[in-house]
Amino acid sequence: MPYPIENRPADLRERMYFPEIIRGIGVLTKHFLRNLFLTRDKNPDVLERRRGELWSDNATLQYPEERAPYPPGYRGLHRLVPREDGKPRCVACYMCATACPAQCIYIEAGEYPDDPIEKYPVKFVIDELRCIVCGFCVEACPKDAIRMDSGEHTPPSYERGAQIWDEKRLLRGPPISYQYDPWLRRGSPSIPADKLEEMRARAKPFPTVATDEYAQTPGFSVRALAQEAKERAARPK
Amino acid sequence: MAEEKKPEAPAAAPPKPPPGPPAPPPPKNPGMVTATIDGREVVAKPGTTVIEAAKALGIEIPYYCYHKRLSIAANCRMCLVEMSNAPGGKLMPACQMPISEGVAVKTETPRVKDQQRATLEFLLLNHPVDCAICDQAGECKLQDYYMKYDRQPSRLDVPKVTKGKRVVLGPMVVLDQERCILCTRCVRFMREIAKEPQLGVAERGNESFITTFPGQPLDSKYSGNVVDICPVGALTSADFRFRGRVWFMSAARSVCTGCARGCNTFLDYLNDTTYRYRPRENDAVNQEWMCDEGRVSYKYLNADRALLSREGRGAQAKVLAREVAVERAAAELAPHARAGSLAVLLSPLASLEDLLAAATVAKEALGVAEVFVGGRRDGWQDAFLKRADENPNRKGLELVAQALGLAVRPFGDLTAAVAAGKVRAVWAVGTEVPDPAAAAALEGAEVLVAQSYDDGPVARQATVLLAAAPHSESDGTFVNFEGRAQRFELAYFPRGDSRPHWLLASELGRALGLSYRFATARDVFVELGPRLGTALGDFRWDSLPSTRRRPGIVPLAAGTVDGRLPGYRDRVPPETSEDARRALARTT
Repeated sequence: MPYPIENRPADLRERMYFPEIIRGIGVLTKHFLRNLFLTRDKNPDVLERRRGELWSDNATLQYPEERAPYPPGYRGLHRLVPREDGKPRCVACYMCATACPAQCIYIEAGEYPDDPIEKYPVKFVIDELRCIVCGFCVEACPKDAIRMDSGEHTPPSYERGAQIWDEKRLLRGPPISYQYDPWLRRGSPSIPADKLEEMRARAKPFPTVATDEYAQTPGFSVRALAQEAKERAARPK
Repeated sequence: MAEEKKPEAPAAAPPKPPPGPPAPPPPKNPGMVTATIDGREVVAKPGTTVIEAAKALGIEIPYYCYHKRLSIAANCRMCLVEMSNAPGGKLMPACQMPISEGVAVKTETPRVKDQQRATLEFLLLNHPVDCAICDQAGECKLQDYYMKYDRQPSRLDVPKVTKGKRVVLGPMVVLDQERCILCTRCVRFMREIAKEPQLGVAERGNESFITTFPGQPLDSKYSGNVVDICPVGALTSADFRFRGRVWFMSAARSVCTGCARGCNTFLDYLNDTTYRYRPRENDAVNQEWMCDEGRVSYKYLNADRALLSREGRGAQAKVLAREVAVERAAAELAPHARAGSLAVLLSPLASLEDLLAAATVAKEALGVAEVFVGGRRDGWQDAFLKRADENPNRKGLELVAQALGLAVRPFGDLTAAVAAGKVRAVWAVGTEVPDPAAAAALEGAEVLVAQSYDDGPVARQATVLLAAAPHSESDGTFVNFEGRAQRFELAYFPRGDSRPHWLLASELGRALGLSYRFATARDVFVELGPRLGTALGDFRWDSLPSTRRRPGIVPLAAGTVDGRLPGYRDRVPPETSEDARRALARTT
């Protein structure tokens, strides 16, 4: 919480220096003893924990066992969305690379011999060190092939080279198909007929408006988070 | 009744001539036609089409099928305008209607705008809108005109007509029949310009598509031009297909080095890679066409380049800095120059500036009286563009040799002289030779100083190799077979440690005691060009015609951690392996 800082000249006692030093050590000792001997609220909903009260003034999170939830709207690391047959939805149109203000996306296009969409990324590399996580690539993508819905951080590494994510690392998460996808409409030699029927039945209509359902992976819903936050705010203290 | 009345008519009183329209007023500008387009007066030659007259005024009338070098089909209906002399007030195709005296043309009325929108909706009805995988995206007239004249969603609610998506028409061209708007520009080009009618339209109505005749591929030597004139993404180049996006690339005004014609080109490049040639308009040379061989002749600019200077042959080869290598070359050539056992081999692939600098050094510092000419061997020739001589600057070489009083002798004489032991040292400016097998004879020379673009058969035998930069990496001039001097401009700076021939030659000259110092190719021409006298006619070095420059991306200033160049979003150069980039990425 922000609080106002009074910008006033130091008074006589403060200018004497030592009384303030002793007072500071006092505060430190108080916290030390409280952390050492007193209990702490173990409510799993960390935002609901009582703090500032007599017997539990302890707001420390036991990271990494306890983690503060991210605010609604947090998106996380990007991923390349797979089709149901495991190939990337991406068609290597370079729209994300064009929109990227950090120029961190590198694409190399190739050609499928038999797929109804002939173009695909042979290489799709994101330099996570350059990436500024602005999400323009997600906005620019005309095929819903790159999403920032994993809710994860970039994992740390000891090597810079490990932060260069190629298509093998980026291609993950639940597959998506829309009714108008060419491989569903026209069929594809790489998809067996019965599987194709199943995929067609499962495909979603193409979203005309970006909604929570389409923009987010199940299990990480911005709406659910927002709803929780709302309920929390409404609950009497 | 009618039968009875008919004979009566002549029996009546002699009829007056019907009152016809009043005689047209005399033309405002005799010999010319005066009309108004959007209220502005235009004076044009009789027979000028409305679309050309409007272009002269700066009024844009959209079109797909019209092409000024092809016959007029008027089948896309995009250029319909209101004309005051139209029968029944119909909208008239501006590409087909000649402008006539006193006609008022309107291109901005709501009726015309509505027609343009309706035409676009119709053309886009069965268009697959797969811009994401279309190579034409970024230079597509459907995209441009949609944003300018239509901007409406599709109202089609039944499935689109599906046709062939990937029809390989020939070695250069791949067709997507769904994207085609059937403007028939390609059909007309093959019939009228290439004179090989290999394309046609099959089927009818919305099922019709462009195709070749059964069993006959599109194998004309000029088939690549249909890709350029296709206003949409239906015809794509098999060579350029999926290799990059056009909006990343910048274009430099250049000249094709495939033959002595010197077709004017745009050289499309990104960072230091050339991606394609596109023909640039020049009525005197190539109009706006190119042959297929010229189109793919850019590849030597990218692949197998010699990028480092070195000394020694085979296993003894040692990489040197350019300055050191030039010193070594001068030290090796000088004794042979004094002994008279030195020959100079010039390549007609080098630019006029290269040859001026090299011939000057050869004459003034090395004291030779004759030069040998290398260059690629002759190829096929036809009556349209392609010349048998596959070197862009043979005429320029002859002019330079003549101006400096050097005799020109063929490459065969050089190999004979080396074999006979008369020539023991060779300075090769450009290592293209007509007969790569005969190049083995050069191994007999004690000293071979080669300035080379690639690591070919001659360069491998060099005792000192100086990496040279081709025409994409320097400014310069080529003189084509008619004696027409044509400028080309630098696209990107020389790769690696390579430098243009003129710079290497002048450095060599300085090491041999000459005082020439050139910073740019222009300096070379300004200083040495006057020796050519009037051979180049009214050529001026700064006269490269300006075009609308297409800027590509501006890469970020800092490099990326994986060793790729900043903003380098296209193919990794072949010499960069994954391992090399990983190694660069390591911090320790």
